[in-house]
Amino acid sequence: MSAPNIAADNDVPDSSIKDSDGFEAATRLTPADGRPIKIIRPPSFSLSTIFIGLRTLVQYSDLLYTLSLFRLSVRYKQSALGWTWAALQPLALMGIYTLIFTRITSVATSGVPYPVFVFSGLLPWIFFSTTISNAVQGLVLYPNLLTKMYFPREIIPLSYMIASLTDFCIASVIMGGLMVHYEVPLTWHVLYAIPIIVLMAGFAAAIALFFSALQVRFRDVGLAMPFLLQVWMFTVPVVYSLQSVPPRFRSLYLLDPISGLIEGFRGAVIHSVTPDLRIMFLCALMVLVSWPLAYAYFKSSEATMADVI
Amino acid sequence: MIDLNFERVSKKYKLPTDGDRPKRWYTRAFARRSGEMWALRNVSFRVNQGEALGIVGHNGAGKTTIMKILSGITTPTSGEITIRGRLAALVEVSSGFHPELTGRENIYLHGAMLGMRRSEIRKKLDSIIEFSGVGRYIEVPVKRYSSGMYVRLGFAIAAHLDPDILLLDEVLAVGDAAFQAKCLERIAELRKSGRTIVFISHDLAAVYRLCDRAILLSHGCVLSDGAPRQVIDEYQQMSFAGQGDSTNEEKARATPARCTGIEFSAPDSPLGIRTGYPLVARLSYKALEPIPDAVFRISLYWPSGYLCAQLTTESVNGGCQLEAGTGFVEFQCPDLPVVAGLYRVDLAIESKGQEVDFRQRGATLRVEPGKIAYGDFFIENAWTLHHTPALADGAILKSGK
Repeated sequence: MSAPNIAADNDVPDSSIKDSDGFEAATRLTPADGRPIKIIRPPSFSLSTIFIGLRTLVQYSDLLYTLSLFRLSVRYKQSALGWTWAALQPLALMGIYTLIFTRITSVATSGVPYPVFVFSGLLPWIFFSTTISNAVQGLVLYPNLLTKMYFPREIIPLSYMIASLTDFCIASVIMGGLMVHYEVPLTWHVLYAIPIIVLMAGFAAAIALFFSALQVRFRDVGLAMPFLLQVWMFTVPVVYSLQSVPPRFRSLYLLDPISGLIEGFRGAVIHSVTPDLRIMFLCALMVLVSWPLAYAYFKSSEATMADVI
Repeated sequence: MIDLNFERVSKKYKLPTDGDRPKRWYTRAFARRSGEMWALRNVSFRVNQGEALGIVGHNGAGKTTIMKILSGITTPTSGEITIRGRLAALVEVSSGFHPELTGRENIYLHGAMLGMRRSEIRKKLDSIIEFSGVGRYIEVPVKRYSSGMYVRLGFAIAAHLDPDILLLDEVLAVGDAAFQAKCLERIAELRKSGRTIVFISHDLAAVYRLCDRAILLSHGCVLSDGAPRQVIDEYQQMSFAGQGDSTNEEKARATPARCTGIEFSAPDSPLGIRTGYPLVARLSYKALEPIPDAVFRISLYWPSGYLCAQLTTESVNGGCQLEAGTGFVEFQCPDLPVVAGLYRVDLAIESKGQEVDFRQRGATLRVEPGKIAYGDFFIENAWTLHHTPALADGAILKSGK
């Protein structure tokens, strides 16, 4: 069994070669029978952790699928209304905001009935905010999972994102119904909503990854998040339109990709306008920068997550 | 071929100094130092392909840290580990369960967490349900399960993993006897098929039975590495040394009589105390006052903690009368029936059924292999061989008479 070259007790592996995947394979342990070789070393913050992390994530893609599926089925288990809840929440909010913004004060909606207007903003916003608020609590909800088993931890926040995305799809059907009811024309512009939602999902995932990892160390994050999201909602054009904002503040608004994305989504769905490509490009850039940073932070934090939870 | 190579691995944990919460921002500036704890210090060992390694050690010796590092739950502070092959850890078998999901859904979820693909789980689903013995409850949310069903389902999933290297951490501590036997059978099966196994357990008997080799950890260091029996003996000796004579001195002084020593000897045997050979045990005492109705007990315990046997002066006629002063009671056993091993010894003196002195882990008794014995005890016997057809067919099966 034991090869002669491993007989000496304290010879250190002096040389190791790197294979093309970034994994290191020690020369002494040759994968003669095609078994994978894995080397565990102290954690270090580097970009290669992103690639290794993504590769492991792909191996565990079935877990992401299963977990997202069960998140949905668990959420509505033992509830009488079940899946209707996915539609009820935005509908109730729509009712309240319609009451406030048509009876008490009013906002410019470019001629679109206010219920449809506010619903088209609530739809992407609820997707974004539920992803974050659920994901932030997700990792600390079952500490046993983190201390007893290994799987790529990002699967937990990501599964909440996918579950929210499904709720978003259900609520979209209601959106369609509202548009028919208020006779708002639906045009091919609605297709722009798809890339917008993809960008939004990317940004939501980045925020969720960052804050859920931070929450493991500092529970302050979870305590602040409901409040933060509430404030955040009023800083983005959900219940009002960007047009009602004084022009000198508008560029400030566009620093937040969510503002641009929600405005773009609403424009494409109810106003039949092409989103401002410059703004979309800027949002895409922010998502592309924030994602790897958040993921790298998450992965480096994951290494000791079980110790600090 | 080496499947696992631990190379000078250390793991440091930071101990929070004030409770569990991170320090407030305004105190952090002043108090920089927090406590440190080294769970592993320069631990090196190797496991060959197809080998079953047992890891023993007292609580906090670093056993679970090794498991956590191997399975990827946490990372080492320094050092390097090489793993050759697919590794699966069987830690606490049902920690991945979601209470609201049904048994079937949990098989998919837990299986995926253990790294199985959906197609693989689908193929093994019937076999898993069958192994678990959960039966028709498979469509019921697991929160309605009994704890036994919970554990059985968890192990059933894990037992269907097909790893090259299997990590087992205290998995046998749960479940009833029949289920434990089933688990051990499955582990033995995996061993036979050439899987590499790392086994952590406080059940020293199981380590002895399952493993080819064992290492002893203490305070994060490897103390010894070798044959399971030798390592287990060393571990027990270490535990006894640390905990022997646990009765405190104050109490000992106040008792009217106490055990002052125990001596085991094997008369006429140069090879020491051996199975099937005579044993003499002398328990010395010191009585400060006359003790009426006194009973002496020497209890021998298995490594697992179960009472193996007891030498006692107890009889239906009551105990003996003890005068004040010192003396000893001698037990003579013509043929020692216990098998080779290290036994923990408790000593006790009672009076009228009340405990007067009790020395937990007062001593150890090492029994060397003597007459051939399999099982737990040696039965002294004589046998003869008969060639006449004296017994009718079937008579052999009738016992007694």
